[in-house]
Amino acid sequence: VKFWRQVLTVLGRDLVVERRASEALTVTLPFGVVALMAVPLAVGLDLPLISRIGFPVYWATTLLFGMTIALRQTDGPSQRDLLALLGVDPAARLIGRALSAGILLAVYMTITAIATVLLYSPEPVSGWPRLIPLGLLYAAGLALLTAMAGEVTAGLGSRSALAPLLVAPLAVPLLIAASQAQESMARGKGILIWTLLMVAADLVLVIIGVLVARPLEEAGR
Amino acid sequence: MRRMQLLMIVVGLAGVIGAFFAFSAPPDATQRQYALIMHIHVPSAFLAFVAFGVTALGSIMWRITRKRRWDRAAAASAEIGVIFTGVALLTGMIWGRPVWGRAWDWGDARMSTTALMFFVYLGYLALRRAIPDPGVRAARASILGIIAVVQVPLVYFSVNLWRTLHQPHTLRIEGSPIHPAMLRALLINLATFTVIYVALLAARLRLSGLEEQAEAATIELAGAAVQPPWLTGATDV
Repeated sequence: VKFWRQVLTVLGRDLVVERRASEALTVTLPFGVVALMAVPLAVGLDLPLISRIGFPVYWATTLLFGMTIALRQTDGPSQRDLLALLGVDPAARLIGRALSAGILLAVYMTITAIATVLLYSPEPVSGWPRLIPLGLLYAAGLALLTAMAGEVTAGLGSRSALAPLLVAPLAVPLLIAASQAQESMARGKGILIWTLLMVAADLVLVIIGVLVARPLEEAGR
Repeated sequence: MRRMQLLMIVVGLAGVIGAFFAFSAPPDATQRQYALIMHIHVPSAFLAFVAFGVTALGSIMWRITRKRRWDRAAAASAEIGVIFTGVALLTGMIWGRPVWGRAWDWGDARMSTTALMFFVYLGYLALRRAIPDPGVRAARASILGIIAVVQVPLVYFSVNLWRTLHQPHTLRIEGSPIHPAMLRALLINLATFTVIYVALLAARLRLSGLEEQAEAATIELAGAAVQPPWLTGATDV
């Protein structure tokens, strides 16, 4: 119970910081939509191609901009030290941070999915609500991975470039699962295998996160 | 110094022997002279796996003992592993262009997973470079060094897990599908590359020791209150 109370406290703190700074939704989100617009402008007036690449571009931009959201700075070294002195479990802090990033990512993904449909006019996918849990799993995995990379690179001057370099190659299985599930649905096939792959990846990340949280906190000092 | 010179002579000799056996092996029935590149490609890929395994081992040992030499070994091995992975990717692409008709195949599991492994370890090296404090550097890099090695079995078994363009393993316990003379040349080149790996590791470890000595000497000369310029501004902690 204490663990989850700590998780919720960190989650609440992060969301309050985001509400005040509004970094994810007023800076990263518009930037992500600009990226979605830039691709069709580079492709030209090939409308069938634009329609076809809509969702793959969506998943790729979500990976890149999702990392920016999850890596936003919500606590400095003094706050981290204070939380450690207060006896906050490092795993609770990591999970709390990942949860807040996951919630923001889910909001980001919802808005950019609407923008993708409007800008790219992709082929309608029947049964698309089944993709929602998959999107949430994608957000959770990316948030967990980025939270860990954020801890590894905490306090470094090159953090904004270094953390994505660490996260992007490791997040590729999530990207493949998400884009392939969407592709399978478009062909009228099931998405169970991709959903299971995503669940397995998220579970592995949770286990790794809980195991490395304390060494990561010690390494950050 | 004499030991390093001796090691370099051994590397040179091993290289000559490896090249001799590679060129004297019978040409492949379908690939002709292009098969020669396998004597670089296969050992590089295999030694990259070994190097990343040593990185993980060094990271684990550092976490247990907190001795600097294990961190140095992990870092040195990762650097060599990245070079070997780069060589394996490059030689694979050079070979793939005439034999497969394309240098890169997006559907191939082995190529994609190897490229991802390459970038993860580039990230590992970038992380190390970004942290000036040796203790913090070792602590953070060791975690990544242990986690990243999970990819090695995934890359190795990718040819069995996903039957894509890349051929299955050539070196098998139950018997190799290639001609004995070709197999012998391949194994000799594997030994040659192992000697090169050991020599590079020894040289890099020696260099790391010298770097640390130079760093310590600079700090001592400047006094405790003054930090060398490359140590300032690197962190905001």
